[in-house]
Amino acid sequence: MSVTTRPAAAAEAVPAAGPRRRWRRGGALSPPWLFAAPALFVYAVVVLYPSIAGVLYAFTDWSGIGGEMSFVGLANFRAMLDDEQALGSIANTLLLTVAILVVQNGVGLLLALGVHARIKSKALLRVIFFAPVVVSPVMIAFLWKYIYNPAPDAGLNGLLAVFGLPGRDWLGDPSLALWSIAGMVIWQNAGYSMVIFLAGLEGVPAELHEAAMIDGAGPFQRFRYVTWPLLAPALTINLMLSTIGGLKLFDQVFAATNGGPGYATETLSTVLYKQAFVYGDFGYSTAVALVLALFVAAVSFVQISYLRSREVAQ
Amino acid sequence: MSRESDWLREARISRAQFFRMMGGLAVAAAAPAALSACSTQQNTGATAGAGGDAATALKFIGVADQKAPMDELVAAYRKVKPGVTITTSFAPTDQVQTSVRTQLGAGNAPDLHVVYPGNGSAMSMTQIAQAGLLADLSAQAWTTTIPSGFKPAFQLDGKTYMFSAGSSVIGAIYNKKVFEEAGVGELPTTWSEFLAACEKIKKSGKPPIALGAQTPWVTQLITYALVPSTVYAKDPAFDDKQLAGQATFAGSGWRQAMEMYLELHKRGYFNDNPNGTTFEQQTSMVATGKAGMAIQVSAVLPDFRKAAAGDAADLSMFPVPGADDAAQVWIPAGVVVGLGASAKSGNLAEATAFIDFLGRQESINAWAKAIAAIPLTQDSGSTIDPAVESFLPFTKDRAVPFMDQRWPNAEVQPTHFAVIQELLAGKSTIDEALKKMDEAYQK
Amino acid sequence: MSHVRYGRRTFLLELVMIAAAVAFMFPVYALITLSLKDPGQIAESPLSLPAPPTARNFTAAWSSAALGPSLVNSTVITVASLVALVALGSFAAYFLARARTRLGYGLYILFLLGIVLPFQLGMIPLYQLVNNLGLLGTHAGMIVFYTGIQLPFTVFLYTGFIRALPREYASAAQIDGASHLVAFTRVVFPLLRPITGTVLILNAVFIWNDFFTPLLYLGGSGFETVPVSIFAFVGQYVSDYGLVFAGLVLGALPIVVVFLLLQRYVIKGFSSGLKG
Repeated sequence: MSVTTRPAAAAEAVPAAGPRRRWRRGGALSPPWLFAAPALFVYAVVVLYPSIAGVLYAFTDWSGIGGEMSFVGLANFRAMLDDEQALGSIANTLLLTVAILVVQNGVGLLLALGVHARIKSKALLRVIFFAPVVVSPVMIAFLWKYIYNPAPDAGLNGLLAVFGLPGRDWLGDPSLALWSIAGMVIWQNAGYSMVIFLAGLEGVPAELHEAAMIDGAGPFQRFRYVTWPLLAPALTINLMLSTIGGLKLFDQVFAATNGGPGYATETLSTVLYKQAFVYGDFGYSTAVALVLALFVAAVSFVQISYLRSREVAQ
Repeated sequence: MSRESDWLREARISRAQFFRMMGGLAVAAAAPAALSACSTQQNTGATAGAGGDAATALKFIGVADQKAPMDELVAAYRKVKPGVTITTSFAPTDQVQTSVRTQLGAGNAPDLHVVYPGNGSAMSMTQIAQAGLLADLSAQAWTTTIPSGFKPAFQLDGKTYMFSAGSSVIGAIYNKKVFEEAGVGELPTTWSEFLAACEKIKKSGKPPIALGAQTPWVTQLITYALVPSTVYAKDPAFDDKQLAGQATFAGSGWRQAMEMYLELHKRGYFNDNPNGTTFEQQTSMVATGKAGMAIQVSAVLPDFRKAAAGDAADLSMFPVPGADDAAQVWIPAGVVVGLGASAKSGNLAEATAFIDFLGRQESINAWAKAIAAIPLTQDSGSTIDPAVESFLPFTKDRAVPFMDQRWPNAEVQPTHFAVIQELLAGKSTIDEALKKMDEAYQK
Repeated sequence: MSHVRYGRRTFLLELVMIAAAVAFMFPVYALITLSLKDPGQIAESPLSLPAPPTARNFTAAWSSAALGPSLVNSTVITVASLVALVALGSFAAYFLARARTRLGYGLYILFLLGIVLPFQLGMIPLYQLVNNLGLLGTHAGMIVFYTGIQLPFTVFLYTGFIRALPREYASAAQIDGASHLVAFTRVVFPLLRPITGTVLILNAVFIWNDFFTPLLYLGGSGFETVPVSIFAFVGQYVSDYGLVFAGLVLGALPIVVVFLLLQRYVIKGFSSGLKG
C-alpha cells in the first residue's frame, strides 16, 4: 500500500541489499510515494478541496450568506454573456495583460541590454531597477495613487510641468486609467523581466559575438542574429510570467481604482470580488472565477506546449 | 429573483444538504474529517478562541465612522457591566464589507457588527436579516419609539433587526469665508439662487463645489440631494410604485436630477478632474478655503472640522435647493449606519443587552453628538449640531430617506456610482445611465 | 557589447542608463521627500526637497499603524511557512522527479494545476474550513494556507531541478546501504541548495507581501501582517500624505533592507527561478 509495487522501469539493476529494507521494498530506486504524502495532504486540503467546492457554487445562486440556495445550472454563465460589466472586464483584463506583456518585456529587455554592457554603474543600476519587485503591490499602488493625482503641481503632473508638458487626470479619465494601472505594474515589474533577460544574456558566449564582429556584423545585426535567438528561453519565461500575472492582477487595481471610474478598470478579479462581497451574488462570482481559471489554464497550456515543442526542436 | 430560471431552480436546498452532496462526491478523500466538520458545525459561530474565563467577551466589527461613538459608549458600558468586555475593530467600508460578509458566509460572524439601514447593499439590514443572521431586537423598549417614517430602515416584516442612533441629512457643507469673499450674502433657497451663488464663487476664482468622485460613495450625494425635490416632492409614494414595477428611474424626476448634476459640471462649478479627486481631497479643499462647498452627508462634518484645524467655526451646512419653488424643496434625511447582533452569536443575550444599553436616551444622545446626527428620539439632554439646524424645518414632512435604503438589491447603488463617474467623464449619456440603473433594479 | 572597451559609446550609454534610473526613481523621491514634510510644505511645494525635514511623520506612523506587532506577525508567518514549504516541497518533488510511474506523473500534473487556479475559486470554502478547524485569526491558519497555496510552485521548482540531477549520487549512497530517507536528507538535499535558495526567496517575497488573504483571515484579529496594517493605516489617515508615506516607508523598509543585504542572492533567485 505505502510503496509503489512496480519495480522502476529502467531498472538499473542494483541488488537491494541493506539493513533498512523497508524504505526500498520492491527493490526500486524510486523513492516511496510516502515522500509526497504530506505535501499532497496539505495541497488537497488548502487548494483542491476548496476549489472543487467553489466550482460547485458556480452552478448555484448562493448569496454568500444565509442557508438557502438553488442549483441554477448554467444560468450564471449564460448571464455573463449579457453582463456588460463582466464582458467589459474580460476585455480590460486582456488589454491590460497584453499591454503589460509587451511593454514590460520591452522595457525589461532594454534595461537588461543596458546593464549588461560594460558600464561602470551596472551593479548599482541592477539593484535600483529591481528593488520595486520586492515591495508589496498594495503599497506600490498607494504610492502611485499619489503620483497619479490630478493636481497640476504634484506627482507626475508636477514632474511634467517642470518640462512644460500638460498634466493629465491619470486615474480619473476612463480612457486613460487602464493604461495608468498598466504603467504602475510595469514600473514595479520591469526589473523582474530585466533580471531574467540578464541571465539569458550572460549565457551568450562572448566568442560568438567576436566571431560575428570579425565577419563584419554591426551591433544591431549581432543582436538580431546572435543574441536574440539565444534569449528565446528567457523570453518564454518572461512572457509566461507576465501573462499569468496580468490575468490574475487584483491587488493593484483594488487599491488604486477599485474598478473605476465607471467600469473603466474593472478586471475579472475585481468583478468576481464585487459580485461576492458588494453585490452579494456568490454563485455568479465563482462562475467568473471559473472563467478566469480557464483563461489562465488555456494560456499556460499553450505557452507550455510551445516551450516543449521548441525544446524538442533544439 | 435575479437571473433566468432553470429546471433545477425550484429545488431549494439547505447549505447542509449541499455540503453533504459535495461530501458524496468525495472530492477530498484526504480530508473527510474536515468535510464533515464543515457540514455539521455551521451553527456554532461563536467567537473563535474566545477563551474560557467567566467574564463574557464580545466582539464588534464596525466601519471607521463608528469609532468615536463606539469607543465612548463601550467605555461607559464597562462601568455599567464590568463583567462584559467588548473588543472593537474598525476599518474602511470596503474592508469591513469583505471581512464581515466572509465571516457571515462562514457562520463565524462577530457578536456585534455594522449593519446598513434598510435594503440596497450587501451589508444592509434587509439582506442580512432575510438570511436569518440578525437577532430580533423587537422586545427592547427603544424599538417602540422608532418614528414611523424610519421603520423601513430598522425593520423587516415588522421586526426590528438594527440599532441606529439617529439620522443625518445630505446638504452643502460650506465655507463661510469663501462665500463672504465671493459676495454670497444670503444662502440660496431655490435652484436659480443656488446657481447664482455658484457663479459668484466661480468668478472669485475658486471652484464653487468640491467633488471627490474618485471615492465611489461620494458620487451619489449630489443626485441624492436633488432627487427628493425632483421626484418625491411630486410623488411621495415613488418607492412603492417603483417596487411594484409602475415607475422607473428613466421615466421619473431622476432624469431631471441627473440633468441638474451635469449642468453644474458643464458650467464649471466643480473642481477640475472630479474623477481623480478623493473624498479626503474634497474635504481638505472646503475646510481650508480652497473651494466653496461640498455636497455631503452631515455625518462627515467632524472630518471637515478636523481638516479645518483652527478654522472649524467657518464651516456650516445648508439644504441644497433642488427646485425653483422654495416650498417644493425637499431634503434627504436618512438613518445613519447602525449595528446589529449576530443571530448565531454564542453570547446572544449579552450582545443584545449591549444594544439595549445603546437604545437608552443618554446613549442615543452621546452617539448622535459624536457624529453630528439628529438623535433618533430626543429629550432635554439631546443636542443638535448647529450646522444642521437649517434642516430641522424639513424633517417633519419634506424629508425622504436615502434612496438606496429601499432599493431591492445590492447592485443598484454601485451601478449609480459607476454611471455618475462615466457621466462626469463624458463617456455616457443620461439615457444610458438611467437605463443601466433600471436594469440593475430589475435584477 | 561586454567585450568592448570603455569608449565614447559606452560612456554615452552609461549616461542614458543613469538618466533612465533617475527618472525611474522619481516615485521613490516623491515617497521619501513627502514623508519628511509637514502638511503645509506638502500643500505649498509638493515636489521640492523638504525644508526643514521633519521626523514627526515617522514617529506618528510607527505608533498609530501598530507596525511593531505586524512585523513580528509577518516574520513568524513567513519563516514558518518557508520551513514547511522547503520540507514538504523537496520531499514531494524527490518522489515526483524520480518515480517512473503513472502515479508520479499524474501527481505532478495535479500539483501543476494549482499554479493556474485563482485562489478566489476556493476562497469561501477554505475560509469555512479554516474556521471549523479553529485556525481563523491565528498564525497557524496562515502558515497552513501559505504552505498549501505555494506548494505547487515550490514542487514545480524542485522537481525540475531534481530531474536535471544525475541519479548516481543517491544510487551510490543506497548501494552503500542508506535508506531513501537517509539518501535524500544526507546526499540529495544538500545538492538542492541553489534551488532551495530560489524557493526561499520567491516564496518569502510572495508571502511577506500577500495582501488579500491575510485581510480576509486576519482582519481585526490583532495578528495582522504588515500589508494589512498598512492598508488599514492608509484608509484611516488618507488625507495626510506625509503620514501615509511615512507609513509606507516603514512598511517597505524591512524587506528592502533584506533585499539590499542579500541583493546578489535575491536577484539570482528571481532570475534562475523558472529555468528548472
